[in-house]
Amino acid sequence: MTRGVLIFAHNNRDVDYALMSLISASLAKKNLQLPVSLVTDDTTLDWMKESDIFEKANDVFDQIIITDKPKTDNSRKLHDGANSKFVPFVNLNRNQAYELTPYDQTLLIDSDYLIFSDNLNNYWGYSDRVLLGRAINDIVGPRRLGYHDRYVSDTGVHLYWATTVMFTKNEYAKSFFEVLSYVKENYQYFADLFRFQVRNYRNDIAFSIAQHIIDGFETKSEMHLPGVFSFIDKDVLYSVDKHGKMLFLVNVTADEKYFPTTVKDLDVHIMNKASIVRNAEQLLELI
Amino acid sequence: MNFGYLLIVDQQEENCPDYAKMAYALALSIKNTQKPGYDQVAIVINNKKYLARFKSLWVFDHIIEWSDKTFWDGRSYMDRLTPFENTICLDVDMIFLRDYSHYVDYFIENCDLYVTNKSYTYRGEIVTGNHYRKTFEKNQLPNLYSFYTFFKNSAEISMEFFPLVRNITEYPKEFSNIFLSEHKPKILGTDEAFALSAKILGIQDDISYDLEFPKIVHLKPMIQNWPWPAELVTHHVGLYLNKQGQLKIGNYSQTGIVHYVEKEFINDENLNVLEELAWKK
Repeated sequence: MTRGVLIFAHNNRDVDYALMSLISASLAKKNLQLPVSLVTDDTTLDWMKESDIFEKANDVFDQIIITDKPKTDNSRKLHDGANSKFVPFVNLNRNQAYELTPYDQTLLIDSDYLIFSDNLNNYWGYSDRVLLGRAINDIVGPRRLGYHDRYVSDTGVHLYWATTVMFTKNEYAKSFFEVLSYVKENYQYFADLFRFQVRNYRNDIAFSIAQHIIDGFETKSEMHLPGVFSFIDKDVLYSVDKHGKMLFLVNVTADEKYFPTTVKDLDVHIMNKASIVRNAEQLLELI
Repeated sequence: MNFGYLLIVDQQEENCPDYAKMAYALALSIKNTQKPGYDQVAIVINNKKYLARFKSLWVFDHIIEWSDKTFWDGRSYMDRLTPFENTICLDVDMIFLRDYSHYVDYFIENCDLYVTNKSYTYRGEIVTGNHYRKTFEKNQLPNLYSFYTFFKNSAEISMEFFPLVRNITEYPKEFSNIFLSEHKPKILGTDEAFALSAKILGIQDDISYDLEFPKIVHLKPMIQNWPWPAELVTHHVGLYLNKQGQLKIGNYSQTGIVHYVEKEFINDENLNVLEELAWKK
């Protein structure tokens, strides 16, 4: 049975998802000792060639799978520490992971999820479920999280985090991804049913609803992937040393005060994408 | 095995919730979901005339007329009123949605007296909110819920526990003044009386240790982990009982026991669903 990691990356004019996926893939490959494949599109591939990372990408990625870039009007406010701007983002084809993955067992991760441990290798045995990140696990703790970081809506279902998803090619996972596609295609209907406001299509929500439906409209306490240890985009990855110790500036309160903290040997979700890109060289040197 | 569920009803004439109707619905749901031998139901009611309107009185295996006490006070006599050797006494505003016979086996085999110590939100989370439990918290009472109480009539611990519950119920002011001085309840209800009795006797760990069952969803509005205060659960989520007797609350299927609290849930339509299922069984 083959195992591997899958990452989706579709560049936009502001965020270099290709470079982030290369960093994320390199770390996953090193620390999980697994092959990593990329799902991307022609324009992103062209950019990889133009920005001189294509050769490295060919070296790191087991397979580069080209697919159509989904058309979307999705945009969101993305912070880089105290600064922010609205940027488009392409996230509409994660439901195709089941069809696109070249592996029997797949760990699907976001390109801003950096793996520094082999912890996730402990979960491959649970092949009878699609495993999702149980919740967000913020560096500051629950007080910085909002209600809708835990629930899809005020009265609605538990919010899983699709930053990490693990599945095995079997009938169960096939059904899961079929339901996920159905939710995606009928997103407004499910927004009405599950009572959340549609600003953009959000994978976390779609995966959570699919899980809820597949679980028989219950929140089951069965196996999930660990909480996604996260730094929000108001935090800044300031530096990375040669031993992999990352120095973050953490925006603990709502004001401008930042506190330094370091993280090492932990898998980490860094939502400030610009700060990953700024530290690309140091991160790639860790490989 | 001599086991059954006991429902105690004090039905008032006017402008009062129809507890007899709720007890009838609960008995129907027990008959619909529990295995033969685990589905006996006894009702204690102040006047049998309140039951005459129901089509299927056979759901009550015992009908006991008793009016010595009013309102909740009769529940402190559960050990005297039950016709069973092994009893689970229930609040009547509940509904069973699946077979729990295996729990009964566990209780009979392992317990003399067991009082539930947790409840769940409709989303399946353990209730942690203390909105309705300030008396418990401030006076360090064990977190007991009397809505599901198992007891053996012959057990020594029952013979100590229930008489004290009766005493507390009889003299609520005196017991509140002495034992609940940190936060006196407006009404000393059965939950408080049970908890206080257990605390005074020092038996809380014997009668209410941690179990994964029974899983009872408690639909009081302020303990649903919602981000805002709520007056009624049904202001925010619907309760949908389908013709198969499956209940959904909001987006959540319910598969245990639901303590629905809002008495209007047992309307004629839902009662009819439960009756038809009972007739077809």
